[in-house]
Amino acid sequence: MAMGKILGRILWAAIALAAAFSMGAVAQSRGEPVNSTWLVIASVCTYLVGYRFYARFVAARVMALDDKRATPAERLRDGHDFEPTNKWIVFGHHFAAIAGPGPLVGPTLAAQFGYLPGFLWIVIGATLGGAVQDFVILFGSIRRDGKSLGQIAREEVGKVGGFTALVTVLLIMIILLAVIGLVVVNALKGSPWGTFTIVATMPIAVFMGLYLRYWRPGKVVETSIIGFALVMASVFGGQAVAQSASLAPWFTYSGVALASGLIVYGFFSSALPVWLLLAPRGYLSTFVKLGVVVLLAVGILFLRPELKLPAFTRFVDGTGPIFAGKIFPFCFITIACGAVSGFHSLISSGTTPKLLARERHAVAVGYGSMLLESFVAVMALIAAASLQPGVFFAVNSPAGIVGTTPAAAVATISNWGFPVTAAEMQTMAQDAGEQSLFYRTGGAPSLALGMAQIFVSSGGGRALLAFWYHFAIMFEALFILTTLDSGTRVGRFMLQDMLGQVWPKWGRTNWKPGMLITSGVIVAAWGYFLYQGVIDPLGGINTLWPLFGIANQLLAAVALCVGTTILVKMHGARYMWVTCVPLIWLVVVCFVAGWQKIFSPLPALGFLAQADQLAAGPQTSTTATLVFNARVDAAVTGIFLILVATILIDSIRVWIGILGGTRKAKTTETPFVPTRLAEEL
Amino acid sequence: MSAFLRAVAQVISGVVAELSDQNAYQRHLAAHGTVHSPQEWRRFQDEHAAASSRRPKCC
Repeated sequence: MAMGKILGRILWAAIALAAAFSMGAVAQSRGEPVNSTWLVIASVCTYLVGYRFYARFVAARVMALDDKRATPAERLRDGHDFEPTNKWIVFGHHFAAIAGPGPLVGPTLAAQFGYLPGFLWIVIGATLGGAVQDFVILFGSIRRDGKSLGQIAREEVGKVGGFTALVTVLLIMIILLAVIGLVVVNALKGSPWGTFTIVATMPIAVFMGLYLRYWRPGKVVETSIIGFALVMASVFGGQAVAQSASLAPWFTYSGVALASGLIVYGFFSSALPVWLLLAPRGYLSTFVKLGVVVLLAVGILFLRPELKLPAFTRFVDGTGPIFAGKIFPFCFITIACGAVSGFHSLISSGTTPKLLARERHAVAVGYGSMLLESFVAVMALIAAASLQPGVFFAVNSPAGIVGTTPAAAVATISNWGFPVTAAEMQTMAQDAGEQSLFYRTGGAPSLALGMAQIFVSSGGGRALLAFWYHFAIMFEALFILTTLDSGTRVGRFMLQDMLGQVWPKWGRTNWKPGMLITSGVIVAAWGYFLYQGVIDPLGGINTLWPLFGIANQLLAAVALCVGTTILVKMHGARYMWVTCVPLIWLVVVCFVAGWQKIFSPLPALGFLAQADQLAAGPQTSTTATLVFNARVDAAVTGIFLILVATILIDSIRVWIGILGGTRKAKTTETPFVPTRLAEEL
Repeated sequence: MSAFLRAVAQVISGVVAELSDQNAYQRHLAAHGTVHSPQEWRRFQDEHAAASSRRPKCC
């Protein structure tokens, strides 16, 4: 055996041992703070082993990726959508599209169980589930002319599957937009500094749009640099606004007022020309997002903060203040993006397959970029878990659970075994430039605090905590709003497509009445859920985040059904476990979570029990609305489960038919065409 | 080492060019057999926006 081969084996054995040893150190540690270095080593070494061995196995044996086969980017090259592109550029493009607020917020919320459950799920879930899903759907789309998940589902599974996938995507979009809107509302509630900064990004984006269109056409990077400088100026300006007795009230709003503003903004962003608001904001948020992720990684790698949250908290029993429900299944619902995210299948069957120059590039782009997103989730978990537990729970717990005064809140949280004082919280709020940090549910403020502490530790002292806190809030809100406005527009197009099947005029995206009405319908739909989250006495996140998690994981189940169907048609039963194992896990998790969210007798957990309790309790002006909202949430969860059960049954019917020999394994894979591309791509 | 750094810088500038739609614009110019002008950029924006605004961004 050649020396190089032996050294390679020794190296991989060392990496595997490092992964196992670090994972053991993280898992076994109790009672004293764990250094985040262990989490970084354990996750990175696991990703390396997964990428080197599992992804390669799937690529070679299961998918039989062939670099001699021309990809859609080459065969259908049109200079617009289809274009063979350098692997790492596609990787950057794909990663920018899949990485949103989910991998930051989800792990922060799930830290209520302690750092360990979330960490294990993020690393193992991504390596064996999320990355596999993204990779298989990307592969399926490459072999089918870059078709979308819905089209592949319709052609490979059947019409029922295709329609179900379409409706599921539309519903998940609505819940997603509502929940991320709520994260922004909760971060900006009563915060003139944060609100000023975010409000300022809107005229800045419009200025950028005009600058790029009329003054410096084509100069996107230059425009983005100017936009970034202006946004940074608005972060500094926000401090002056917050300290001004006359200006601060102009930017201090309640949750309902902020939600209303967000709904109006959503409507206009969907109806206005893309170049004016959506495109410049998109450029800016993409660059800021990538920059901050790199900054956070550098901060964690160099500062190696200690985790102050325990490995497990008492809330594994389901009594958590951030959201109700036991560790199983709710840890796996709360962290979707970062471990397994169905939404990624839309990206993997969207732009990315149309850019890949070689089939084997799908390993790095499909599997590898999901691992990178998983690492972002690990960093978010580290940032949140490096906060004092008492502070973490004081920020993230709603008043309805911990008490409506600071004294009551700190007493409740201290009684849970996480000591914190009102004075400590007040000092923390002052340092962060906020009036109060209590009841800031949604994950964004506590993540911003954790990130700010890491950045502050790298230099500048606590005097800079306020700046970094609001910088982090700006960063989170900026790209959440980008997801919100682009999601509203995508939802509008999907609705127009569906209506266009019945009445073609509605399918015309330039027909003004159709555009305005469908924009209004989509905004009203997510606005309704956002409003119910804002008025929820338990803070809204308790209701909406699990709903979003269930929806996202169910979409992953839909994608894995499609992936399994493709594999069964290729190899029979031989490799169906690759997608079936994560599929079975997700179906069990989602159905148990969905069932509990609908039927649990505990009012904090079950929507119907919550409605009954509210109906039987003292009647206030909002009781009837809250009862109705809880029943709507139960119905929506039920619809999700029925939709996914439909595509699951339809898929199983197809698999049994193929494996039993009663159905022909008819595939829509495009025939082999040899590539003519030069090697360098 | 310097070759490695050059390669990394090339990838970063490539990613920036892709994310800022500069590559897409160059492809647009090539496909239409034309050169950069303010009018062509606006035409590209309008065509490109129609497609890119239909793409979902993940959560």
